[in-house]
Amino acid sequence: MNQKKVLYLTLVFWLLIFSGFIAYKEYTLRTGTEVMLKTLPVDPRDLFRGDYVTLNYEISTLDMKKFHAENSDFYYDEPVYLTLKLENGYGIPKEIYTTPPEDELYIKGKVKDVIYDWKTDESSNMTEEGAIKELRVDYGIESYFVPEGRGMGIEKAQRTGKIEVDAKVIIDKYGNAVIKSLLIDGKEIDF
Amino acid sequence: MFDQDLIRKWLDEGTINHAQAEKMRADLEEYKAEHRSKKQIIAFSTIGAILIGIGAILFVASNWEKIGDTVKIMLLAGSTVGIHYTGYSLKYKNQKYSRLGSALLFLSALLFGASLFLIAQIYNINANNSTLVLIWLLGVFPLIYGYRSTAVAGLCSLLFYLWIGLLYSERNSLNESINILDLYLMSGIAIYFSGILHELSAKLKHTVSTFKFMGLQAVLIALFIYTFGPLESKGEEIISVIYAFLGLLFLAVLLSKSLRSRLTGFQTDMSMAVISFLMAGITLITTNSQVSEEAYMGFFNLVFLGLLVLLLYAGYSTEDIGIINTAMFWFIPLIFARYFDFFWDLLPRSFFFIIGGLALLTLSVVLERKRRELKAKFAGVGE
Repeated sequence: MNQKKVLYLTLVFWLLIFSGFIAYKEYTLRTGTEVMLKTLPVDPRDLFRGDYVTLNYEISTLDMKKFHAENSDFYYDEPVYLTLKLENGYGIPKEIYTTPPEDELYIKGKVKDVIYDWKTDESSNMTEEGAIKELRVDYGIESYFVPEGRGMGIEKAQRTGKIEVDAKVIIDKYGNAVIKSLLIDGKEIDF
Repeated sequence: MFDQDLIRKWLDEGTINHAQAEKMRADLEEYKAEHRSKKQIIAFSTIGAILIGIGAILFVASNWEKIGDTVKIMLLAGSTVGIHYTGYSLKYKNQKYSRLGSALLFLSALLFGASLFLIAQIYNINANNSTLVLIWLLGVFPLIYGYRSTAVAGLCSLLFYLWIGLLYSERNSLNESINILDLYLMSGIAIYFSGILHELSAKLKHTVSTFKFMGLQAVLIALFIYTFGPLESKGEEIISVIYAFLGLLFLAVLLSKSLRSRLTGFQTDMSMAVISFLMAGITLITTNSQVSEEAYMGFFNLVFLGLLVLLLYAGYSTEDIGIINTAMFWFIPLIFARYFDFFWDLLPRSFFFIIGGLALLTLSVVLERKRRELKAKFAGVGE
C-alpha cells in the first residue's frame, strides 16, 4: 500500500471515529427522554480531561430489599437495566433487570459491586452466602466536567448542605444516558 | 561500517595505501558527523512534538469556557488533520524534511487522542475511562506500519499499559482474578514477544527495538517491585497457565531453526521465556501452598539479579549497548533497595548514609567507565 492511500485511509478512519463518537452521543441527546436524578458530588481530576465533579446518584446504590428484581443473580461488570417512573421530572427506580425490558423507560448500567447479607452463627462466623443486600451500579454518567478550579466550589457548598445538586440526564430507548446539565438548587449551572 | 582499527590493519597489510586510508578516515568522520546530526534532529523534533501534544492535552483539560464546544472540536480535529497532512507532505512528497515530517505524524497521533478526550469531555463520558484509551490506541496503531513510525510504536506500547491499568481499576472481575503486577508482567512479556514476531518479517524490523525495549522495561519494573515481597495472591491457577503459554510461545519461535536465524538477540529473547516459566512455577506454588515472605523475596531477588546478569551477557554477545545500559541502570535501584533493607537497622544513621553514598558514587563511576568502554568497543573506536 502506498503512503498516499495510508494518508487518506487514516484521515477517513479518524474522522469516522470522531463523527461516530459525536453521532452516538447526539442520538441519545436528541431522541431520549429527559430525567432528573438526585446526586452527591465530589471533585477529583482526570488525567487527560481536567477537573470534573463525580456524581453519585441515589440510583447508584440499590437496596435490593426495597424493590423487585427480575432475578436474584447479579455479577460484577455485567449489564443491568433499571426501569424508572417519572415523578415531577425525577426518575424513580422501579425494577431491575438483567435483560432490556420492553416498552418502559429504563437506564442501562454495569454492576460495580454486589453486597451480600451474610448469615452468621452464634460466634459471628459466616455460615453461608445470603441474598443480595445491595447492588452498586455505574451508569456511565458519573463524571461532569467543569472548567479548571470550578468544581471545588460546587463540592464545598454541596458538602456543607448549602445546595442541592441534580443532574439533568437524557436517556434514549436503548437505555444509554448522557448528562445534559447540572442543576444547583433547581437552576442550571452556566460556566 | 568499517572502523579506524580496520583501516590501520589494511594499511599495515598493504591492502590499501596512505591516500586511500586518509580518504576512508575522512569519509568515516563525515559519516559519523552526519549520523550524529540525524539523531539530534530526530530527538529535537520528537521532543517538540511531545511538548505540543502535552500542551494540547492540557488545553483540553483546562476546559476553557471562552470558546464554544463546536469551535473547540473544529480547532483540535482540524489541527489533527492539518498536522497529519503536513507531516505526510514533508516526509513523502517534499522529502526535504523527512524527520520533521515523521515528528509531525507522531504529533498528529497525540492530537488524535487529545481530540478524542475533548469529545469525551463535552459529552461527560466517565473519567478515567479505559475504552477511550483503547480507541486512541486502535486509532493510531495503523500508523506504525503505514508510515513506519517507531515513535508511534512507543506511544502504542505506553497506551497499552495505560489501558491495562484503567481496565484493571474499572473491572472488579479482573481485579479478583489477577494482581496488577502479574498483569503488567504478562503485558510486558507479550509486548516483548510482539517485538520478536515483528523481527521475523524484514518489513516490520523498524518496530523491533521499540517493542522489545518497552516490553523489557515493564518486565523489569514488575520484577523489581516483586523483590520487595509478595502481593496478595488471587489463587487462580489460570495465571500459571497464561505464563506457561507465553513461555511456550517464545520456545515455539526460538527453538525453530528457520525462525531463530532471523532473530538477533537470542539470549535476551530466551531470558523472557525463562522468566515466563519461572513465573508459571512460582504462581502455581503460591496458589497451592503457603510460601514464606522471606523465601518469596529471596526468589525474586535471585530472578531479578539473574535476569540483569543475563542481559549483560546478552548485551556483550550481541554488542547491543542498549541492553547493557538497561541492565546497568536496573542494578542501581536493586542495590539501593537491598542496602536499605539490610543495613538500615544495623548501622548508625550517619554511617548508613555516608557509606551508602560512597558506595553509590563508586558504583556509578565503575558502571559509567564500563559503559563507555563497551560503547567505544562496539563502535570500534579505541579511546
